[in-house]
Amino acid sequence: MLYAAVQIVAALASVNGAISTQRIIFLFYEAFFCFLLTHGFRSYMNDNRWLAMIMPRLIPRVIASVLLLGVVMYFLRIPVSIPLGLYNWNVALDPSNILGQSVYYAILFFLWSVFYFMYNYFERYNKSLKLEASVKEIELSNLKSQLNPHFIFNALNSIRALVDENPEKSKQAINQLSNILRNSLTTEKKGLTKFGDELKVVRDYLGLESIRFEERLKTEFDIDPASKNFLVPPLMIQTLVENGVKHGISKLTEGGLIQVKTKVENNKLNIRIRNSGHYHINGHKRRGGLGLVNTSQRLKLLYGNEAHFAISNENDSFVLTEIIIPHLHS
Amino acid sequence: MRALIIDDERLARKELAKLLEEHPSIEIVGEAMNADEAEQMINELNPDLLFLDIQMPGRTGFQLLESLDSVPLVVFTTAYDEFALKAFEVNALDYLLKPIQAERLSEAIHKIMEKERAKAGRGAGKKLGLEDQVFVKDGERCWFVSLANIRFFESDGNYIKVYFDTNRPMIHKSLNALDDRLDERAFFRASRKHIINLSWVESIEPWFNGGLMVKLRGGDKVEVSRRQAAKFKDMMSL
Repeated sequence: MLYAAVQIVAALASVNGAISTQRIIFLFYEAFFCFLLTHGFRSYMNDNRWLAMIMPRLIPRVIASVLLLGVVMYFLRIPVSIPLGLYNWNVALDPSNILGQSVYYAILFFLWSVFYFMYNYFERYNKSLKLEASVKEIELSNLKSQLNPHFIFNALNSIRALVDENPEKSKQAINQLSNILRNSLTTEKKGLTKFGDELKVVRDYLGLESIRFEERLKTEFDIDPASKNFLVPPLMIQTLVENGVKHGISKLTEGGLIQVKTKVENNKLNIRIRNSGHYHINGHKRRGGLGLVNTSQRLKLLYGNEAHFAISNENDSFVLTEIIIPHLHS
Repeated sequence: MRALIIDDERLARKELAKLLEEHPSIEIVGEAMNADEAEQMINELNPDLLFLDIQMPGRTGFQLLESLDSVPLVVFTTAYDEFALKAFEVNALDYLLKPIQAERLSEAIHKIMEKERAKAGRGAGKKLGLEDQVFVKDGERCWFVSLANIRFFESDGNYIKVYFDTNRPMIHKSLNALDDRLDERAFFRASRKHIINLSWVESIEPWFNGGLMVKLRGGDKVEVSRRQAAKFKDMMSL
């Protein structure tokens, strides 16, 4: 829409002196065509990912298409201008006129392109800064809370007791703990991870917590085989499951259930985490709340409005966390 | 010494019990898995020592201590509770970080035995004397206060202000309930508003309406009502 307005102003500026009604109608047609052409041009550029091109490849393409658009524009206005009586065929088909007017339109389109690219580069830069900032923030909160010292030392303590009681199980627990530690040390280098890998971390994490909580923690998995190849932000699901344990299970004397369920529908990954407990909307002002805000911001930056994240009380005894993630092509 | 282990995790209790096998001076009289269970066991078994986890489902270790009239010796066991432990005044408590190291446990037990020897006068079921300690939490700060250090108690609505050192934290209790629990040879109900620690009394002056004004060491002044004045004179004059 902005482009149309710009074209009208530009077109108005191009004619000095008396403006007849026909001319005004014509100018509106002209603006409309400009709008159509720039719109088409834009979607063409988006389809062919011109914004990602390097300058030496991009500039000749822009110049060529701008010239082409100029010529197209010139011929598009003929069927409108002739019936309005503004031009006759002789003038319209005069080669010097064709060339002059086309170049004039080409310059307009070129200016439009410069404006368009500047705007998009700036926007993209801005977005990448925001993404970087939130990734940093997540790394930091991972260091502080993800690699939760309370969890690690409690796990070590349980394993120590388990060495006498069940040496086999304690060996397995040591492997699970080292998997988690390795994962949280390497995630900062990864932008996205396969859901299958993330699920492994979640299983290891819950395996360790089961040693600690014993019969107080029950776990259930129901994983759609198609979900394995989806790309998800690393440690996001683990964080949400850990929240479920921290705020749900560990607060309940009787303990409870953690359930992780995934389903692939319409090429989107639907993850549902259920945990026993009650979600206090106002009780999460401090660290937990920040974690949730972080999660939803991270999803928004990675997937735009295609991802969905919600946490709610499903009923009196269960909290449901739901994430929907679109399929990203790597 | 008779000890009670309080932790919600079976393996953590087991591990501590195993470590304590090396210390025959500590007898484990029970294990509790939450604050409610612990409170009941403390009242029944009257242990000398608690090994207490801070984070537990239901009430936390701190909340358990707040609900006790008299607090036994306490060693906190925790995996990682920086903030909770910072709340304490230095030297006010001992704590063990999980996984517990054998040498660290020996040290803690050594300290406890010394403390216990220093206050050998405690007995079961008795009223709270000067050797007993209470647990006081005021906002972010916590104290184990020996009753000998408390100069006086002052009622303030539904709360009691506890005056010791330069602190005056509040506890949620009525002065009457507290009065019933305190040893009357050590503490005196001066008026509806005050209970004073007799060992802190410095001087006594006659006051209006047949009352008395008691000056305590440290400069606090507490009025003794006319009704209590006669009783007070009796006590102080042998």
